[in-house]
Amino acid sequence: MDLSAKFTFVIACWAVTFITVADCAIYPSETSGDSARKLPSAVIPVSQPSTLGSFYSLSLSSTFPEDLNEYCIELLRIYRQRYVAYANCLVTYARPVKVCQNCYTGFNSLDGIYKNISSDQPGPGNISCHDSLMRSDRLMLLYALFNKLDEIWTSAKCKQCLSKDQEALSNDTVYFMATLNQSLSCFEQYQRNHTELCKDCKASYRKLKELYGSMDKNQTLCIDLEDAMNITQQLWSKNFSCLLPREETVPVIAVSSFMLFLPIIFYLSSFLHSEQKKRKLIHPKRAKSSNSLMNIQDKFN
Amino acid sequence: MFHVGSRSTVDLEEEITPEEDIVKSRLKEIPHNEKLLSLKYESLDYDNSENQLFLEEERRMSHMGFRCLEIRRWVICGLIGFLTGLIACLIDIAVEELAGYKYSAVKQNIEKFTEFGGLSISLILWAALNSAFVMVGAIAVAFFEPIAAGSGIPQIKCYLNGVKIPCVVRLKTLAIKVFGVICSVAGGLAVGKEGPMIHSGAVVAAGVSQGRSTSLKKDFKIFEYFRRDTEKRDFVSAGAAAGVSAAFGAPVGGVLFSLEEGASFWNQMLTWRIFFASMISTFTLNFFLSIYHGKPGELSSPGLINFGRFDSDVSSYIPFESFLFFPYYFPGGMLGALFNVINYWLTIFRIRYIHRPCLQVMEAMLVAAVTATVAFAMIYFSNDCQPLGQDSTEEYPLQLFCADGEYNSMATAFFNTPERSVRSLFHNPPGSYNPLTLGVFTLVYFVLAVWTYGLTVSAGVFIPSLLIGAAWGRLFGILLSTITSSQSIWADPGKYALIGAAAQLGGIVRMTLSLTVIMVEATGNVTYGFPIMLVLMTAKIVGDYFIEGLYDIHIKLQSVPFLHWDAPPTSHWLTAREVMSSPVTCFNRVERVGRIVDVLSNTSTNHNGFPVVPGKICGLILRSQLIVLLKHKVFVERASSRLSQRRLQLKDFRDAYPRFPPIQSIHVSQDERECMMDLNEFMNPTPYTVPQETSLPRVFKLFRALGLRHLVVVDDENRVVGLVTRKDLARYHLGKDGLEELQLAQT
Repeated sequence: MDLSAKFTFVIACWAVTFITVADCAIYPSETSGDSARKLPSAVIPVSQPSTLGSFYSLSLSSTFPEDLNEYCIELLRIYRQRYVAYANCLVTYARPVKVCQNCYTGFNSLDGIYKNISSDQPGPGNISCHDSLMRSDRLMLLYALFNKLDEIWTSAKCKQCLSKDQEALSNDTVYFMATLNQSLSCFEQYQRNHTELCKDCKASYRKLKELYGSMDKNQTLCIDLEDAMNITQQLWSKNFSCLLPREETVPVIAVSSFMLFLPIIFYLSSFLHSEQKKRKLIHPKRAKSSNSLMNIQDKFN
Repeated sequence: MFHVGSRSTVDLEEEITPEEDIVKSRLKEIPHNEKLLSLKYESLDYDNSENQLFLEEERRMSHMGFRCLEIRRWVICGLIGFLTGLIACLIDIAVEELAGYKYSAVKQNIEKFTEFGGLSISLILWAALNSAFVMVGAIAVAFFEPIAAGSGIPQIKCYLNGVKIPCVVRLKTLAIKVFGVICSVAGGLAVGKEGPMIHSGAVVAAGVSQGRSTSLKKDFKIFEYFRRDTEKRDFVSAGAAAGVSAAFGAPVGGVLFSLEEGASFWNQMLTWRIFFASMISTFTLNFFLSIYHGKPGELSSPGLINFGRFDSDVSSYIPFESFLFFPYYFPGGMLGALFNVINYWLTIFRIRYIHRPCLQVMEAMLVAAVTATVAFAMIYFSNDCQPLGQDSTEEYPLQLFCADGEYNSMATAFFNTPERSVRSLFHNPPGSYNPLTLGVFTLVYFVLAVWTYGLTVSAGVFIPSLLIGAAWGRLFGILLSTITSSQSIWADPGKYALIGAAAQLGGIVRMTLSLTVIMVEATGNVTYGFPIMLVLMTAKIVGDYFIEGLYDIHIKLQSVPFLHWDAPPTSHWLTAREVMSSPVTCFNRVERVGRIVDVLSNTSTNHNGFPVVPGKICGLILRSQLIVLLKHKVFVERASSRLSQRRLQLKDFRDAYPRFPPIQSIHVSQDERECMMDLNEFMNPTPYTVPQETSLPRVFKLFRALGLRHLVVVDDENRVVGLVTRKDLARYHLGKDGLEELQLAQT
């Protein structure tokens, strides 16, 4: 792959040099992305959180006359704390996914501070931190960081599991959890004997499935529930192998072969009984001795 | 002079008198085969008759009048595009709704019975639903309008070639076609709804441009100037283009389709107008579908089939990969040829033995039932389970015996409308199908598609071909990625599915330029243009080695006198003298009415054009003109007594077009038979003529390029010795042992 990618890269760059340089940049990023994936160890040490002190010592901005004011620094500090707390929560509950149930408070508080910063309302001393914190450089780090987490929150559809004000889990979610626990405890009971399990837990499992289906229709599912259901389904089908038996092979084959037999009869009977369509040949008027195929052949030879 | 054929509204069979019957029975009877020319097809009159009426009308018309004509042409093209788009929209919505209803009913049933047993009942339900849909469609086609069967592309090809196929552009045909296609797609046959769009567009064009419907007996008194074969043909080509454009979302492809099929009559302004019609059509469809999908203004479905997006960066296409597609070029042509050969024999069998409408309906129902059965059996015995993805395109995932949260992968291919299956083969992520599933699917679907095409239902062959190709293409892609084993650019089997689909379609229909453009436009990615072009080229070369394209086969089997681009090679030694029909029935400049009526009434020589003599050729008059003259009783004896009455105008001829009354319906009394008729004013005074020694290719070229219907053969003194018509030329073709001659037959 490397060889071909490089080959293309060379060709492509050669071809597009005078059109645009930006196009070329796409290709090296592919290769570099690949190599980064191979060396995960190189990435880890970088993520050491810097202390407040190092933040100041590293910061060149202290020498600039236009310094951040106290209020904005305070906002930034709160943002940092909440960000770390929320990210921490996300990673903690990544597998099995329980982020919605556990991190909504973290998200709400982070959302709050982000809205606070990004609002144009001036704080004490008539200063707006929006421009100075968010938009003074091209990286726009605070924006990018929040945006990513917000994206995760949205794609997890956590809002659908929370109550209207986002302050608590919705009733549906709680009820689903209860039903799920019923099933799981049933599974626990029959851990030993899978055939028993398949029979006796069927009722509760079916109830769970139906509930899940109805919630799916009402759009009240979030990643937590989906993941929990997924795991339960796997337990049911894979671990306990409670699959539906394929019992009806004989009737299906019988009906199928009957159906397949019909066209054979049809074609045979129409071949034997239907009158073959004949065409009446017509002899057109032609100038003498010109039109027969024999004639053509004669002339050909 | 020889042009036999029943006039459109008369059925020849009914009028055979006893003594003619005896004559007929002496004639040889042979089973239907491909080496026949049918008498029921006639030529269209593309050659303008420049008689005195025509010249007078032209003199009367002002400069402004000609401008208005041009504007009217544009308006008509716009209307054609709009209506074609609407029809496409109607078909799409109807199919979606009906198929949705059917599949959800069957799905519920299957789910119920998977658990409690009784799946064979679901099987029967599915087969019954399919048969029911197909039965309704087949009854409509077989009993009411048999010409609406099939995709309609061969018929439109013939029409643009200059052959008048009875009933092909009637409103009734359109209605049956649309209804039939909805039924057959909803009935789960291995067919698509794209091909019939082309026919539908052509009918719309033929209807709109005439400003009236003879079927509904409604005349809007507009666009009267266009009531001629020449003008109508131009609009029909625009309609066909609009149909392609609506079917595939490919306006340029549509224009090129018309160009490829009817290119002998072409000019720049016409091309531009056709393009206008195509654009309007795809836009209309797109707009109304966006409203239907609840997102008005979001123009995301330009055609009936939507290949979905092929993003350049995701499935990165690399120049040398098009050489890697190379092994692919051959199966396309070979499988296409195999398809055509099997379908050829099947069609012959059908023509010979299954010609009664009730048998045809039964056959269609059986195919529908078997399709459902086979699909069900495949799904039932398939062990290929795939996890349900979040972004899965499966509308009706079937779980059956798969683990919870998984679906049967065979069902995505079979338990779906064919368009959706094509789309999932193109776009489902790698690993959605296992190779065995694809292999079995290709095989089964190939057989079903071959079997289905040619049934008495209206349905197209595009989608099944694409589906077969996509299946083996994807299979190839999967095998390739397991061979190379590295997670690399080969990993995306979707693009191999696309190339495979193009190869298979090209191998079956053998279109070149237009198909390439259609595929490129439907994928919306020009980078695939080059491999698609290579694939189609090779498919055509390989396929042509074995057998012709599917449409050409069907044209041949219909015994249509189709004129190809050139006369057969090695035919220069044939001269007009040998080709022409002779002797010719001629009329005098002033002819007795009785003789005209007798000649026209003679069913054994159903001529259409009559040279006007004495001695030297003075002109040519058509049957349709004579009938109008007889109807209006334009006799010399009456001229003096009816001076007050207005003279016959070109308008009178147009009003009778296109269904001129049969001669039997015109009453001519005994007195009138003795009257005389002056043909000078009405005949075409300057018909095309050739000397006797002209070679066949020369005659052919003249005939094809000018779209002639009659070509008079004269001797040194300009006396008529014969007449060349379409059937005289079309009967020569190159067979296995050199030049062969087709025989004329009554069908």
